[in-house]
Amino acid sequence: MSGKDTFEPRIVAFLCNWCSYTAADLAGIARLKYPGNVRIIRVMCSGRVAPGFILKAFHEGADGVLVGGCHPGDCHYLEGNYKTLKRKLVMDRLLDQFGIEKDRFRLEWISGAEGEKLARVANEMTERVRRLGPLGRTRERLARADALELRNEGGAASG
Amino acid sequence: MAGPKIGVYLCHCGTNIADKVDMETVREYSAALPDVAVSRDYKYMCSEPGQDLIRADIRNCALDRIVVASCSPRMHEPTFKRACETGGLNPYLMEMANIREQCSWVTSEAAAATAKAKALVASAVRKARLLEPLEDKTVPVNPTTMVVGGGIAGLEAALKIADAGQKVYLVEKEPSIGGNMAKLDKTFPTLDCAACILTPKMVAVGQNPNITLLTCSEVEDVSGFVGNFKVRVRKRARYVDVSKCTGCGDCAKVCPVQTIDSFEEGMATRRAAYKFFAQAVPNVYQIDKRGWPACRAACPAGVNGGGYLALTAEGKYDEALALIRERMPFVGICSRICFHPCESDCRRQEVDQPVAINGVKRFLSDWEVKNNLTPAPPEGKKSGKSVAVVGSGPAGLSAAYYLLAMGHAVTVFEKDEKPGGLLRHAIPRYRLPEEVLDRELERLKTMGVKFRTGQELGRDFTLASLRKEGFNSVLLAIGAGSEVSLDVPGEDCPGVHTALSFLGAVSHGQAPPVGTGVIVIGGGNAAIDAARTAVRLGAKNVSVVYRRSRAEMPASIQEIEAAEREGVKFTFLASPVAVIGTGKVTGVKFVRNELSSDVDASGRRRPVPVPGSEYDVSADTVVVAIGQTVDLGSFDPKERQELAAGHRVKAGEWGETALKGVFAAGDFVTGPASFVEAVAGGRRAARAVDAFVRGQALPEPEFRMPAHEDPLDLSHYDASPRHQMPELDVAGRTRSFAEVEKGFGEAEARAEAARCLHCSICMECGECVRACEAVAVDHCQRDEVVELDVGAIVVATGYQQFDPTAGEQWGYGRYDDVLTGLQFERLSNASGPTQGRLLCKDGREPEAVAVLHCVGSRDKNYNEYCSRICCMTSVKFSHLVREKTRAKVYDLFMDMRTFGKQYEEFYNRVAAEENVYFIRGRGAEVLKDPKSGKLMVRVEDTLLGVLREIPVDMVILNPAMVPRADSQRVAQVFGIQKSADGFFLEYHIKLEPMKTATDGVFVAGTCQSPKDIPDTVAQGAGAAAEAMTLLLPGSVRISPMTGEVRESLCSGCHMCVLMCPYSAISMDEDKALAVVNEVLCRGCGTCSATCPSGAMRVRHFDNSQVLSQIEGVCAE
Repeated sequence: MSGKDTFEPRIVAFLCNWCSYTAADLAGIARLKYPGNVRIIRVMCSGRVAPGFILKAFHEGADGVLVGGCHPGDCHYLEGNYKTLKRKLVMDRLLDQFGIEKDRFRLEWISGAEGEKLARVANEMTERVRRLGPLGRTRERLARADALELRNEGGAASG
Repeated sequence: MAGPKIGVYLCHCGTNIADKVDMETVREYSAALPDVAVSRDYKYMCSEPGQDLIRADIRNCALDRIVVASCSPRMHEPTFKRACETGGLNPYLMEMANIREQCSWVTSEAAAATAKAKALVASAVRKARLLEPLEDKTVPVNPTTMVVGGGIAGLEAALKIADAGQKVYLVEKEPSIGGNMAKLDKTFPTLDCAACILTPKMVAVGQNPNITLLTCSEVEDVSGFVGNFKVRVRKRARYVDVSKCTGCGDCAKVCPVQTIDSFEEGMATRRAAYKFFAQAVPNVYQIDKRGWPACRAACPAGVNGGGYLALTAEGKYDEALALIRERMPFVGICSRICFHPCESDCRRQEVDQPVAINGVKRFLSDWEVKNNLTPAPPEGKKSGKSVAVVGSGPAGLSAAYYLLAMGHAVTVFEKDEKPGGLLRHAIPRYRLPEEVLDRELERLKTMGVKFRTGQELGRDFTLASLRKEGFNSVLLAIGAGSEVSLDVPGEDCPGVHTALSFLGAVSHGQAPPVGTGVIVIGGGNAAIDAARTAVRLGAKNVSVVYRRSRAEMPASIQEIEAAEREGVKFTFLASPVAVIGTGKVTGVKFVRNELSSDVDASGRRRPVPVPGSEYDVSADTVVVAIGQTVDLGSFDPKERQELAAGHRVKAGEWGETALKGVFAAGDFVTGPASFVEAVAGGRRAARAVDAFVRGQALPEPEFRMPAHEDPLDLSHYDASPRHQMPELDVAGRTRSFAEVEKGFGEAEARAEAARCLHCSICMECGECVRACEAVAVDHCQRDEVVELDVGAIVVATGYQQFDPTAGEQWGYGRYDDVLTGLQFERLSNASGPTQGRLLCKDGREPEAVAVLHCVGSRDKNYNEYCSRICCMTSVKFSHLVREKTRAKVYDLFMDMRTFGKQYEEFYNRVAAEENVYFIRGRGAEVLKDPKSGKLMVRVEDTLLGVLREIPVDMVILNPAMVPRADSQRVAQVFGIQKSADGFFLEYHIKLEPMKTATDGVFVAGTCQSPKDIPDTVAQGAGAAAEAMTLLLPGSVRISPMTGEVRESLCSGCHMCVLMCPYSAISMDEDKALAVVNEVLCRGCGTCSATCPSGAMRVRHFDNSQVLSQIEGVCAE
């Protein structure tokens, strides 16, 4: 981690081999720039990204998780990306219950031609997660909220 | 057991990685990682010495895992896998970290890049520790290749493969192979004509025994995998049997339909029966048919309106009449009384008004009568069967006609003294003169139909007596003659008539006195007929009272309007509550209605009486025309029970009833309906009777093509108003029953018929069928779907030309003589619309011509890329203009890109030609000078730094090459990706220009990127080499990275089975375990992501391996 003054979030990106990983290569070939703390893990299909992978990433200290797949209709494995989308909707609710903010988990369709989009998403996501702060701080905030709730036992739960 | 021994190899990639990443730091870091035995860095790890480093360490240090940190695995994974393999290590024990494309090239700061490289290496090392050796699987391949697209790229690929002795399917969407190149005139830089170099290849493809040509065909679906694809191809009906067609062109000579010629880029017309172009391969004709025309689809009887219009316009009246009689035997009657839904749906109304289709039919009938022609009776081989038709209305007569035509003896029973049914009794003479009806009946008698009149069912004969008499079948067409009554007080008062009794009396010359005031109650055609008849009987005040509003009225609009012109008044939203009068009607008491908010079973709003709104109207005569129902009184009770269903007759689609051998048709089945529906029903039932008496099953439903509903390009049609049917003037009508419509004259009828747009192109008029001596035309042909097994696929679907109407500045489509490149090619082509003469639209030779480069290319508003061919085609155009005319040529270019072999030389040669002016600047705008009428081209001459306006007579635009409009669909079908410009994405832009992301699918030619003919041919041959490299070994290695079930963990929950897109997972029901078919499995891993117990794993991307990678990237 380089920046001392600003928080540099760590983002784990699961990219499918055929579209979004290719897009990441293309971003490199075009020498587009995005922060060094976006770390890419190649999977054959976005449909391979088990919910456990996302939780594991957060557990290992990731501040954000990005999943990249082919555009709807373009999946190399016919329909893996649709399954990813379904899982994403479930994951959103699960992460919400854990108190993990929506912006920390993102699913994007990035075709093999969209190197520019990959770089843009990586930059945007880093910026948003940077604003949210480290996931650890979220944990602390949640712990404080729990404590608050305990103190206010019997009273109306405040949002 | 000792842990693995890992070697880490860091590539500098020259300076590509090493400039950003501190290689020594990463090397030291990686050396300290668990299980790492060796860590080295090298300038070019992919080079032979680099690979030797790895091989030597495997041998000398007994390494059993390798991590290479370098460029993307999409680039060099195969290289390093091979290095491991040749070094004696299983290639699946190697893992790569992408520290170039995804690290050094995208990270701004060196420190961050180094940190990221460390993380990526850590991740790879962690995964490497868990890697397992895997063996590639080998599957046999199908040695056949499919080439998709018959342009020059596809031709080249197909020929190369076929000449090597392999089988090829060549699929082409158009009716001929040749592609865009077939349209070209001369080709740069040699100026040999495209046809001269292309057609020999086309012929060679057509004659090569190894090539199966599928034209008019499109790939709909591809399944399977490399070496073993299943391809579903739709062969569109061409309505010509290719094996019989001799290419003589007799069909095109007689085809009456002209349509836009797409091959001539819209600059000429062709017939609906046509050959794609003179040198087409296969050398056969086809018929351009886009469904049924709207008129025919709208006709209940399926009468081919468009067909007889086309024939009439050509003066082929006999043929037109014969075509009508295929579905409508009574042309004279139909053309007078039909409510012609054909005209309501006619697509000419998108331009102005519908064609007067029925009026043209009336002309044909009049022409036949005037010339005393007797149509040839339809021929049918005598069957020896006899059929009794009961009832001689339109349904009965229609059935009699068609049964006779099918060869049966037909006897028609009629209860009245003269046959004709409602045609005689109810249709007033001013619409249908009696002699017209008698003429049609006379014809039936001449044909051999026997009539027994004065014979009533139930009184004079019964179904049983008919059977006893020896009739093989009975067709009941006795109509719906029982009239519905008003059910109000005073209804039986003298002076109140039902519509049918009123009209019948008038028809028989026994018209009742009507007085001055006549009220007709009802809103159907019978009500209008009664009202108009009353006018003719001398009534002064005739009004039609209808309980709903005008919009709900069932009568045809033409009849309503004719009645209004004759003075009939209409009252809406009123119902009778009583007839007033003692001994003689004096008036009717009405109540006003309003319409309910809900709708009834007929889909219309119900009338609801308004309390207290009653009012009286005086009248001398009241005619009740509120509907008819079926009367089953003539049958015995048992028959009645079997026939009836409520107020209707129970009959199937074909008119078959519950009584064996008894069929029904017309109003008797449908309730009161129209003449044309009755005729259609009669014909349908006749076909069923025919099947019955021959002991066959009921026929298949008759084929009806869907109507052609696609948008029409209306710019090709000039407005030409509908001819109005000449009519008797209103004063002449009201005191006489003379026919109102007088009919068109021949000139009017032909002109009216020529208004037809031929909306579905071919109208099935039948001229081609009659003309074709080889009996090759088959209008019943349907699309055919075939499934083909192939091992490799070459996609060579080509490009299309950018449409310059996208930018107003080019004036294309607005001004004549602004041409696209392909239009100019056709104009300049000796086989084109002007036989190669360069002429303006008005026939003049141009005095000055401008050629514009980069139309839609190198332009951020349209396409950013360079289309690569336009500079050379422009220079070629400039030369051709000079060669063929004396015009000055202005060639407007941004940069002159003449990069190919002999290209610059060609440019220099043309630049030296007299009167060719090369101006550096983008042709910005094409305008028309209103004074001189010349086209003005605006350009900034960037060399002189001046703005110029150049007057010219012709502008040739050189539009960009763009991906075909259907490229998205094609990409999805074949599993190809598209690059940002929309062209198909190759696997690697430089090193793998033909491969795609899908193994076994290759691309060639302009579908991959814009290119000229030499490059296209080279890539076509290259794709052929790719396909043969894949297929010739006879088997292909497929990835072992497939799913696998750990049986001890599997609970048999089926989740993975549901997830698998390839149906590669099934259940072993005995063991209640999932089983993976490793040949079908493609290794996506969706099953593993779903498996709740972790039993389903994917080799090389197993849960533990990916989880350890996550730890790795998060560690640093």
